[in-house]
Amino acid sequence: MIVKEWCMYCGECAGVCPRNLIEVREISLKFDEDKCKECNICVQVCPVQALEKRDD
Amino acid sequence: MMETDVLVIGAGPAGSTAAKHAAMGGAKVIVIDKKSEIGTPKRCAEGVSKDGLKELGIKPSPRWIAKEATGVRMVSPNGTAVNLTEDKVKLPEAGYILERKVFDKFMAMDAGRAGAKIMVKTLATGMRREDDQVVVTVESRGQEMEIKAKIVIAADGPESRVGRWGGIKTALKPKDMESCAQFEMAGVQMAEPDCIEFHFGSVAPGGYAWIFPKGDDIANVGLGVLTTITDKTAYEHLLEFVESNPATKNAQPVELNVGGDPVGGLLKKKVTDNVLVTGDAASMVNPLTGGGIISGMLGGRIAGQVAAQAVADGDYSHENLKVYDKLCEDELGESFKKYLKAKEYLLSLSDEELDEIADVFKDSDFETINTAEMVKKLIKISPKALLKLGKLF
Repeated sequence: MIVKEWCMYCGECAGVCPRNLIEVREISLKFDEDKCKECNICVQVCPVQALEKRDD
Repeated sequence: MMETDVLVIGAGPAGSTAAKHAAMGGAKVIVIDKKSEIGTPKRCAEGVSKDGLKELGIKPSPRWIAKEATGVRMVSPNGTAVNLTEDKVKLPEAGYILERKVFDKFMAMDAGRAGAKIMVKTLATGMRREDDQVVVTVESRGQEMEIKAKIVIAADGPESRVGRWGGIKTALKPKDMESCAQFEMAGVQMAEPDCIEFHFGSVAPGGYAWIFPKGDDIANVGLGVLTTITDKTAYEHLLEFVESNPATKNAQPVELNVGGDPVGGLLKKKVTDNVLVTGDAASMVNPLTGGGIISGMLGGRIAGQVAAQAVADGDYSHENLKVYDKLCEDELGESFKKYLKAKEYLLSLSDEELDEIADVFKDSDFETINTAEMVKKLIKISPKALLKLGKLF
C-alpha cells in the first residue's frame, strides 16, 4: 500500500480495515503489508484519496 | 512494568469522561493519548446540545464555547430553506458550537483532577492477557513500555483497534462510516448566523453538508458522504460545495479537517473479559446527525462507573462487565435505532423530493404542527414515508 504525502492521519482507514492492519500515529501510518489481502476498503473510504494499491 | 486498575486508551471526550468517573469510583486510573496535544486536530463539526452538557453535569465555559446556536436552518438542493428559529418554534435542541481544541483538554483536566494519571504522546501498540488481567504494550515518546491493567477502556475513536485486540468485532463496513471533510473558514456570510445549517441531497451523497457558525464571520463548513454511493472523495465534494454555496463564495479556509464518522448505530457487543469499548470506538454516534460528543461522554461515564465497580468487586470478567451493554442500550441504543430509520428515509429521497418537502414546510407554523401531521404531509409527497417512518411515531 502506498501512503501519499497528503495523508492526514485521520484514522478512518484503520476503522474499516477488516484485518486490523493499519496503525495510525500522530504523524505517521504503519501498514502490516504481509497480512493485507488487498480488499481495497481503506483506499475507498479515505476522504482525501491518500492511499493507493502498490502495482507490483 | 506500570500497574493500574483501569487503563483508558484515548483522551477524547469519551475517554476523559470514562477516566474521570472511574477515578471518582475509587479506581487507580491511567489515561493515555497518542497525540502530543489532546484534542487537536479536530475531526468534528463541534456541535453539542445544551441539554446534553447539562445531563453530564458540565458547566458551559466561555473558554471552549465559540458560539451559541438558537435555531436550525435546513436547505434543500434547489436552495429552499426551512428555518426553525426561536421566533417560530421552541426548540429543545438549542446548542453550542465548541472549540474542541480547548474543550477536549478541559475534559482531560477534569479527569486529572479526579485522580487519573495522564500520559500524552503515548500510543498503545498491542495487548495480551496475563492471569485475570491484561498487559498493554505502549510506545511513549519513542520508549517501549508495558502497562498491566485489570480493566481496559477502549476509547480510541473511529479507528477502534483496541477492542479488536480484545476480540470484539469493531471494524465497520464502508456503508456505516461517513467519510468527512471540513474547512474552518472566515468570511462566511450565513443567511441565519445564529442557526446551524444543514444541506441535503446530492451535494453530499449518503450524508449532508453543514455550516456551523463559530461567531463573527467564522464557520465550520463541511460534509460527510458514503463512499459506497459516490466516486468522488469527501474532499472533492467539499470543494464543490464551497464553490457553489452563496454563504462561502467569499470565504477562506484556515483549517482542513478530515475523518470518519461511525453512523451505523450503537455497536451491539462492546464488552469482553477485561475490556469495555466506548465513544466513537463503540459507534456511540447519532446515526442521523453524526453527532457523537454527548453520546460518547454519556457512554464514557457508564464505562467508568462499570469499570470502577468491577475493580471493587475484584471481578473483571465479561460476566461481571456485561451490564455495560445493557446500560448503554438503555441510554443510547434505543433512540439510535429510531434515528437510523429516519436517516434511511432521508437518504431514500431524491433531490426533487427534498425540494418538494422543503416547499411544503418552509412556511409551516411549527408551533401548532405535531409529529403525526408532519408525517402525514411527508406521506402526501411520497408514500414511502409511511413505510419507513410510520412505525416510529
